[in-house]
Amino acid sequence: MFENCIIKYVKRNDVNVCIRVTYPSNDNGSHKELSVPLDEANTDYQNILQWVADGNTIQEAD
Amino acid sequence: MALSKIDVANMLTGATPVANGGTAATTFASAGLGKRPNAKPLIINGDMAVAQRGTSFTGVSSGANFTADRFQFYLANLGTYTLIQEALTSGNAYDAGFKTAWRIDTTTADASPSAADYAILRYKFEGQDLQSIKKGTSNAQKLTLAFWVKSNKATTGSLDLFDYDNSRIVGATYTVNTANTWEKKIINIAADTTGAFANDNGLSLGIEWFLDTGSNTQGGTTPTAWESQTNTNRNVSNFALGDNTANDWAITGVQLEVGEYTSSTLPPFQHESYGDNLARCQRYFQMRAEGNQKIISIAHWAGGSEVDFIMQIPFMRTQPSIEYTTGSEYWAIGGSGGSTNTLDNLNMNSWSTEMNINLWTTTGAGGTAGYAYYGYTNNASAKLGFTAEL
Repeated sequence: MFENCIIKYVKRNDVNVCIRVTYPSNDNGSHKELSVPLDEANTDYQNILQWVADGNTIQEAD
Repeated sequence: MALSKIDVANMLTGATPVANGGTAATTFASAGLGKRPNAKPLIINGDMAVAQRGTSFTGVSSGANFTADRFQFYLANLGTYTLIQEALTSGNAYDAGFKTAWRIDTTTADASPSAADYAILRYKFEGQDLQSIKKGTSNAQKLTLAFWVKSNKATTGSLDLFDYDNSRIVGATYTVNTANTWEKKIINIAADTTGAFANDNGLSLGIEWFLDTGSNTQGGTTPTAWESQTNTNRNVSNFALGDNTANDWAITGVQLEVGEYTSSTLPPFQHESYGDNLARCQRYFQMRAEGNQKIISIAHWAGGSEVDFIMQIPFMRTQPSIEYTTGSEYWAIGGSGGSTNTLDNLNMNSWSTEMNINLWTTTGAGGTAGYAYYGYTNNASAKLGFTAEL
């Protein structure tokens, strides 16, 4: 699901408010991103939680 | 023959009104129903008319992928494909009123998938939209799944209905009898008195067309009655779409009806206007802007280097994610602040809801707090959508 993606928290006012998923670049230099809310009804967030349960780690925000 | 009288009472009950006020049995009566229990088709975009994300994607080799809305192609380590919203110009499906189809072409073959590999087309339902099926009660209803299919392979494939709430499955097979010819398939699905669907906006049911899989989902017996999840029963007759680059498979006219029907009693496909179809798809995905110099929304400088975009959107299933294609300076703001500033990425504010969205980002430049702007795309490849898919 997140093969070769960078998955990182995004902070606002020093609080994690969403997760940015950065996909590998396309040939033209563009790339796909997801900005995922921390909402358990959101399927992207569910998939990230599953990805974490599989042993992966979300990077801390910059 | 001139009509002298139409029996309105028959229209209200679902019986076909006929000349001079007689009665005539309908297809619904054959299924023990007075009329169709759902006002709108249970399957959204069954005619594959709406494809907000795009009509063609090449080099698809992993993940969850869309062309036509609501129909999601899941792929793991089993070849590479092109996905197309195909425009139909002839054939039996075209003659039946379908002008578009979901099509997949194999471009890199994998004739020996590993056990856990898969290529599956899925349609997913919210539980609250399926309560008319009465699953998990003594009055549980049978279902009928109908669709048009075409492939270069004249062979048999498997599908199942997967109950995510209760981990239960029921399956079926279908056969492409003649290669490269649109054929209509009608499949009866048993009722299930066990395991009710949750009455909420979560994922409850999926229809899965197994285009190719490894051995983890093969080797068993197709369950014609609902049963507890047994993975080896899910793809008993593997279509093996990925075994040759000559392969293709296409589907349209997908229809799920409450009740048991035959080819002679199946109610007609409920064609919706494009606008109605698009509006229903937008509960799950909305393409907000695509291409260069397209307006996103109003914006304002919040202070420092932070810019906020505020927008109201049609109500979605949940608070959405932002799904966008981006790169260097793909986004910009301009307006009363006097200067134009470019942006590289956008973030979803946690205060956003299913219909009120606040995107925010930071720029390299400072601005004056409170100044009004408008946000727009700044590259021909820019795409910005909101996704709340199941």
